Amino acid sequence: MWIRLVSGVLLGSALLAGADIHGTIVIQRRLTRRNVTASAGMYQRGVAVELGADGEEDALAFERSHVAIYVEGASVAADPGVVKASIEQRDRRFAPDLVVIPAGSAISFPNFDPIFHNVFSLSKVKSFDLGNYPNGQSRTVTFPSPGLVAVYCHLHSNMSATIVVAPNRWATKADGKGGFTLADVPAGTYSVVAWHKTAGTFRKTIVIGDKKDAELSFTLPYVVTKDSEPIAHR
Amino acid sequence: MRFATRTFLSSFVPFAILLAVSFWAIRVSVISTVRDGLRASVRDNQVALAREQARNQARDRKWLQGVAESSTLKAGLQLLYTERVGAPANQSRKSVEEQAHNAVLDLAYSTAQDQARNTVQDQLSEICDSLGFDFIMVSSVRGEPLAAVLRNAGGFTPIKFFHLQPPEHGFFSADNRLYEVTSVPVQEAGAQVATLTVGGLFDISRFGVPAVLLHNGSVIAAAMRDVAPGQIEKALAACGAGRECQPRIQDQTYLSLPLGLTAVAGEDSYVLRSLQNVDAASAPLQAVLRKLFLVAGLAALAAMFGISALSSRSIARPLAEVAAHLRHSAMTGDLPEFPENPGGVQEIRDLTRGFNFAAKAVREGRERLTLAYVQFVGSLAQALDARDAYTAGHSRRVSEYSCAIAKALKISGQELETIRTGALLHDLGKIGISDLVLQKPGRLTPEENELIQQHPVIGKRILENVQGLESYLDIVELHHENLDGSGYPHGLKGEETPLDARIVKVADAYDAITSDRPYRRGKSHADAIAILRKACGTEMDPAVVEAFAALGDQQKQHIALAGDQSLRSLSQAVASPELDRVREGQR
Repeated sequence: MWIRLVSGVLLGSALLAGADIHGTIVIQRRLTRRNVTASAGMYQRGVAVELGADGEEDALAFERSHVAIYVEGASVAADPGVVKASIEQRDRRFAPDLVVIPAGSAISFPNFDPIFHNVFSLSKVKSFDLGNYPNGQSRTVTFPSPGLVAVYCHLHSNMSATIVVAPNRWATKADGKGGFTLADVPAGTYSVVAWHKTAGTFRKTIVIGDKKDAELSFTLPYVVTKDSEPIAHR
Repeated sequence: MRFATRTFLSSFVPFAILLAVSFWAIRVSVISTVRDGLRASVRDNQVALAREQARNQARDRKWLQGVAESSTLKAGLQLLYTERVGAPANQSRKSVEEQAHNAVLDLAYSTAQDQARNTVQDQLSEICDSLGFDFIMVSSVRGEPLAAVLRNAGGFTPIKFFHLQPPEHGFFSADNRLYEVTSVPVQEAGAQVATLTVGGLFDISRFGVPAVLLHNGSVIAAAMRDVAPGQIEKALAACGAGRECQPRIQDQTYLSLPLGLTAVAGEDSYVLRSLQNVDAASAPLQAVLRKLFLVAGLAALAAMFGISALSSRSIARPLAEVAAHLRHSAMTGDLPEFPENPGGVQEIRDLTRGFNFAAKAVREGRERLTLAYVQFVGSLAQALDARDAYTAGHSRRVSEYSCAIAKALKISGQELETIRTGALLHDLGKIGISDLVLQKPGRLTPEENELIQQHPVIGKRILENVQGLESYLDIVELHHENLDGSGYPHGLKGEETPLDARIVKVADAYDAITSDRPYRRGKSHADAIAILRKACGTEMDPAVVEAFAALGDQQKQHIALAGDQSLRSLSQAVASPELDRVREGQR
């Protein structure tokens, strides 16, 4: 009993004295093939352009920023770190289209378009349908268990968003350069998971010592095939 | 009318008419065949086009069914219906408060309804954009329009349609533009929940053939600019719906077939027909054919003309030659024979042969007559000569001397013969002189002399009425004229006396000088020439005398001694070899 208490205290102190995981996501070619239409007013649709082809948005930065990273491990399973996030509906798109939240968090879906939208998911983790609602209204959904939730709109088949419900609060998205930081991870042995919608799930085991920051790097995907299309890192 | 002209006309005119008529008939039949062929091909073309059109429509409908199955569209429609069902309909507003409340409700509702419609219009815009339509609309099962979008320059504009129920397939105009639309049902669970209508801008010129679109019988689009719509309407009014017909517009035959886009919606009817000018399609070929036939016909006529002219000439030429020959014979009195085988035509040959034979007979008869007369006259002359022993053979000798002189003076042919016979007859007139005077020995009294001097005139009188002996008259009448004009009967001078008479005078004088006379003996040749030379310039023609003198004594003697005074030798002297042959033949 005591030992358990002490170890609990120790664990708690260890948690408090956790280390940061600094990581890099390396993506050298485009993973997502997607056409977007530049929004030009309500009904004034422009010509479809391939993402990144216009030079205004870095295709690789787009890919890197669409990677979710979270930690799996028994010692951190119980720490929820609940947040409130939001996925807006703007210009017939979910913005952002990738959200990483700890389990138990809630996401609101406000509609900023002058037209109706619908939000629904058929995912195992959480299936819901918020119905059609017009501009100015919002609905909120809570996601109690970890997993991937794909969100769509009945009215607009090209709208989609992914919610990564992580098991704990050590979860984040990479930035445009591929960098990420998971702060204050307690010492222990974990699996760090990187997830990309098309590239898939990547796991790496990492051992965290006391007050010692760890470095980690993922290269997505593993194998660069011959017929793949390398893009120079900008 | 000349024979050649008649031959030409009788050969050319019927053939020309025949040729022209047959060319015209062939031309008409060929052109109509060509036009029918073209018309058939135009019809086939249009039928194929109509079939293609129908096939395209069926395919379009299937494809549109797929579009109508879009789940987002269905979700949008459901949203629309949901928002509309809640609409407050004809609420009785009893109080101001209630009215205000309802107004707020209406506002709120209308906002939501507008957003719902916007949502659907946005979806429709997307469909329009991605599938390339110019117009898209959804309407309720009852035909009530729910939302519609029209393509504009650079984007899409939502439009409001009221009381518009597009047909399953048809046309309508919006915004001054004509759209060709197709409607398909939007189904859910096997039941129609709405109607999706899509359309494209209608372009009449996209068809392979000229076409015309009629709305309730009036033209609203036509691919022909040169024909007034009124004329098309009038011409097509007689055509049955859905039937092929051949209207006539502006004197041109058109072919019109329905192109499978016939649409009837309520009282409106839209009919799309092809309208192709068949005459214009075949016009270039017809023009070529017409020109070809005209050229060929004219060439054939020209060839016919040439052939007729040549053949008529070749037929008429022998006859014309015969006619010219006869005309010449009639004018001159000569009867020359035709050359052998003129023109190679059997009948002409027979004709000319007959003519030749007759002409020969006539000529021979004439010559025989002349000969008979000459013989007769010659006999007379001989008889005359024979009256006096001293002058026996005188006429014959003078004739031969004269011939010799004439030959020396290069006279030949007919003139020589004239001199020969003329000299033979020169003293014919002495037949009218009494023997007493003629044979009187010794000198003559002046009266007797005058009588003697009558003999040229008497001779002339005897001969002048006999046809064929005219040429001898000069010799008989003028052989006693002197060069200085002292001769008789007319006292002509020099050249006034013809040459033949001058020749005979010299020959006559020579024979008289060299002949014996009762009162003197004949002089020798040299003496005679001397005497003649002395008389030159006064009586005798010097040229003639010199020519005679140059003949020489021997030849002259030969002539003098060769005298056979028979009738035969005389006739030989005057006759041509041909006559001899005739005479031989008669014997």
